[in-house]
Amino acid sequence: MASFFSTVKRIYLAIYNWAVFTGWIQVLIFAIKALNESGPAAVYDAVEKPLQLAQTAAILEIIHGLIELVRSPVSATLPQIGSRLFVTWGILHSFPETRTHILVSSLVISWSLTEIIRYSFFGMKEALGFTPSWLLWLRYSTFLLLYPTGITSEVGLIYIALPYIKASEKFCFRMPNKWNFCFDYYFASLAVLGIYVPGSPHMYTYMLGQRKKALSKLKAA
Amino acid sequence: MKVTLVSRSGREVVRGGIELSDSATVKDLQEAIHAKTKKYYPSRQRLTLPTKAGVSGKPVALSPKSKVSDYCEKGNSDNLTVVFKDLGPQVLYSTLFFFEYLGPLVIYPLFYYLPLYKYFGYDDTNRTIHPVQTYAMYYWCLHYSKRILETFFIHRFSHATSPLSNVFRNCLYYWTFGAYIAYYVNHPLYTPVSETQWKIGFAFGLLCQVSNLHCHIILRNLRSPSGNGGYQIPKGFLFNIVTCANYTTEIYQWLGFNIATQTVAGYVFLVVATAIMTNWAMGKHRRLRKLFDGKDGRPKYPRRWVILPPFF
Repeated sequence: MASFFSTVKRIYLAIYNWAVFTGWIQVLIFAIKALNESGPAAVYDAVEKPLQLAQTAAILEIIHGLIELVRSPVSATLPQIGSRLFVTWGILHSFPETRTHILVSSLVISWSLTEIIRYSFFGMKEALGFTPSWLLWLRYSTFLLLYPTGITSEVGLIYIALPYIKASEKFCFRMPNKWNFCFDYYFASLAVLGIYVPGSPHMYTYMLGQRKKALSKLKAA
Repeated sequence: MKVTLVSRSGREVVRGGIELSDSATVKDLQEAIHAKTKKYYPSRQRLTLPTKAGVSGKPVALSPKSKVSDYCEKGNSDNLTVVFKDLGPQVLYSTLFFFEYLGPLVIYPLFYYLPLYKYFGYDDTNRTIHPVQTYAMYYWCLHYSKRILETFFIHRFSHATSPLSNVFRNCLYYWTFGAYIAYYVNHPLYTPVSETQWKIGFAFGLLCQVSNLHCHIILRNLRSPSGNGGYQIPKGFLFNIVTCANYTTEIYQWLGFNIATQTVAGYVFLVVATAIMTNWAMGKHRRLRKLFDGKDGRPKYPRRWVILPPFF
């Protein structure tokens, strides 16, 4: 019975990882195509649909962690996926004025490269039971460059969106009301920017630790 | 006798060990360690017996009042190996509580008295202050003043100290929530509930605060002044039906405040505080039931609610 469940789990995770992998391949190809043909301002429109699909699918990963289908700690996946969804839906989708900025290109390329490597890494592990050492190396090394470029793009885009957020009433809930509650999207976005200050070193050092563990295991093997 | 003091990684903390008289207590050992290491005052030391390979469970902690020789193995009363862990800089529990509670006591009236809302983009030059907002401020300040006075005059702590890092963590919790609630209740666009509702809310809250004080006095009398920190079955007043009646009254007291002031912020705080206290209550209830199992002449812990009758 137990081995039946673990086989089902493996098949499910293999399908999940390879499916999202193809989504991100699409994102990268469409982005490069748009850059070649039209330039940075056209990148968002070209990648919008596969980007939203692939990024939103990542919510499943939080659930996988919570029900302990995978070992990744929720404390590492939640901030990462949270910030991705905030930028994808809360900034790019909601405030079209940001879509033509050049940071969208660096964002999309950083994200898609990282995810292509990550999903193929997990996809191979689930489907084949092992990963080639070059893929392991890529998974635990490319973040050294792609985390800074990705985080800079995220923070930059949020910052650029701020004046548009302030001017619009989108997602705001004002007082007076009988529950004496208010929500100001502008202040919330500032708070998110604030979280990046301790959050980014936390995520980076977490990955550095993971890298050390993974590469030393590789050497020992 | 000689005590060999090692860290958890096996390194000798005091080279050559510590020489003690055969009748020395653990407290004497702690003072000797402090004399030899200067940095590690007794409340920073955690002393345990080494765990044996293959034996699970928590390591045995050395109790300051016991004799060191009590922990020696039979036939080997001249030598003992003790594992040392540095608990980090410590503060008195009363110090910790004082600063936790001082924040809300000071921060809340700032939002009531000072024209701070203009910095949030609101015009607060001609604001009307509703009576409920004034009473809320009195109620809040009464609550935190009570807590500070209880800290110095009522509570008897089972541990004298707490790690310094808890000061930052706890103050963040109390001070942030204090500001969060104060912001909304004192807001120029605050919408009060009916007079009946806030009168009931504050009356109920005050009743619970008085009950809470009574609970704290009962708990204090359970502990002897010498600070043994031992456990006894709490009884009397609400403790006859619920283990952590002090937490129960505290939670219902906040409910009273929220019924009176009606803010999302206040209810969020209530939920979080309830979750934290429920966690503590489950631990305490479990400990008491384990200790008072009815065997070996010990009384059996009676069937009681854990923290929130009639739910749990």
